[in-house]
Amino acid sequence: MVFITKFARFGAQVAARHMRASVTPLAIGQWRSFHITNMLDKERRYTDKHEWVELLDANKAVVGISSYAQEALGDVVFAQLPEPGTELKQDDECGALESVKAASEVYSPVSGKVTEKNAQVEDTPALVNTSCYDKGWLFKVSLKDPQEYEKLMTEEQYKTFLSSSADH
Amino acid sequence: MSFLLRRNSSQLRLLMAAGNKITRPALSTTASSCYSSSSSSSSSPSSDNNNVNAVSPGASRQRKSTPSVPDADIKKSVFISQSHDIFTNLALEDWLYKNFDFSHHHVLLLWANDPCVVIGRHQNPFTEANVSKLMERGITLARRNSGGGAVYHDRGNLNCTFFTPRERYDRKYNLNIVTRALFREWAIKAEINERDDIVILNKKISGTAAKLGHPNSYHHCTLLATANKLHLGESLIKEPANYISRATASVPSSIRNLVDVNRNVTVAQLLSAVGYEYLRTTATALEDGGSVQTMQQRGFQLINPTEKWFPGIEELRANYSSWDWVIGKTPKFTVEKDLELKEDQHGMKIKLSVDVEAGLMKDICIQLPQSEQRVPVVTPLQGKAYNEQNLNGIVAALKLVSTSNVKQAMNGSV
Repeated sequence: MVFITKFARFGAQVAARHMRASVTPLAIGQWRSFHITNMLDKERRYTDKHEWVELLDANKAVVGISSYAQEALGDVVFAQLPEPGTELKQDDECGALESVKAASEVYSPVSGKVTEKNAQVEDTPALVNTSCYDKGWLFKVSLKDPQEYEKLMTEEQYKTFLSSSADH
Repeated sequence: MSFLLRRNSSQLRLLMAAGNKITRPALSTTASSCYSSSSSSSSSPSSDNNNVNAVSPGASRQRKSTPSVPDADIKKSVFISQSHDIFTNLALEDWLYKNFDFSHHHVLLLWANDPCVVIGRHQNPFTEANVSKLMERGITLARRNSGGGAVYHDRGNLNCTFFTPRERYDRKYNLNIVTRALFREWAIKAEINERDDIVILNKKISGTAAKLGHPNSYHHCTLLATANKLHLGESLIKEPANYISRATASVPSSIRNLVDVNRNVTVAQLLSAVGYEYLRTTATALEDGGSVQTMQQRGFQLINPTEKWFPGIEELRANYSSWDWVIGKTPKFTVEKDLELKEDQHGMKIKLSVDVEAGLMKDICIQLPQSEQRVPVVTPLQGKAYNEQNLNGIVAALKLVSTSNVKQAMNGSV
């Protein structure tokens, strides 16, 4: 798989040059559809470590992991979530999700205080796989610095990030 | 140009021979990349002999989001821990995971421990082993930071930890290093099963677990060479009681020692076989570079995991060996055990039920079948650490209680 991406990365520039004309209309179509989903859902922001944040109100947010991340993990068998009251700094390790034989760290995408953890996910970790944006949320935080949220990737940016770093 | 293209098409063939993972859509991208790679490969004359690597330097320049390092720039080391103490070795592993920069330097850490049982990060030690019996027999209990199940270690078992940056994490590559080493050294044919265990004729010789973080990750596995199978089996038996727990459960498998396959196997020789195989293989592709490749690496290094070499390791060790980590991190669980009470002619089964949180007995009570009602047991053990001895202590104390007492207590509490 690694070879492919090495080549793919290499080819990207050339391919882009060659295919710019034909590719562009298609890309616009995709981008438009993203805008529509954004208007339907509340806006989610993403980190490069594949966590998402969604604002509940001006300074409260809910955190989970992206569909890409849950797919990469495989079946989650155990969820360790931060306790309410925990003070988190952005990029702090704040929990772990265990899939078959691998424990993956969960990093907090924002700074703030944990107000609630999803006890349902602790009881049924598979929720992270089946419903990562809805029932499979991990914890809620009261934001310390809403600016941090603004700086995270939007859905489009995240999709672009995923396709550009498809090293898997 | 034609010369370059010719060489690149031979690279393609090599690639296809090396990994049959290449599918059709990928082929089309490889074709276009051959075209663009000609400029970079012509600028580096040395790239002729490391075929796959030649392409990557240019590739990494184009990528900004995840900087990946070309194979040729990655050096490899084999670290051999001089400690046989499980807590020290776990601390060393954790220290490297937290502090080391693996982007240009991949590391294989080899270590062996005195007898111990090591459980996964989110496991319940009481469902994996009989903790009280382990203590009696002088077998250490430890909790590691990676996922997976419980394993038994002794000096006849070699542990291999493969450290890489997260984006280079590749379990299959690592396991193949081990199986290739076994074949090269002793012509032992081992297979990798769907659970990523290494098996020989359906019996497991190696168990795998991993820790994925940022920027680093590691994958470690055990390798049974000459372990004490009797102790191994006996160490991984739990106290007969009904445990209700969400903790990650182990998947018990029958095991085999490598020495039973080939009687020349020793841990020392296994260590050097795996180490050399690691060094002679290129960093991301399972390609044997022979002695040329080996000579370009940093080789074997003996590691003394002390505070002087690794500042902060003592604190990590203290944490790994603490009760708060080994037992205290147990996900909350409930244990139930049937009680035999005095004057129990009706054959009524009464259960003792203990809720344990953070390793401490929070709630101790008696429960009748088909009844939600719970009678609290008054005991000084409440709030104390849970272990099998304490559980059996309560059971023994309750033997003197008769059924009618329990009934009375239940009626009284309504």
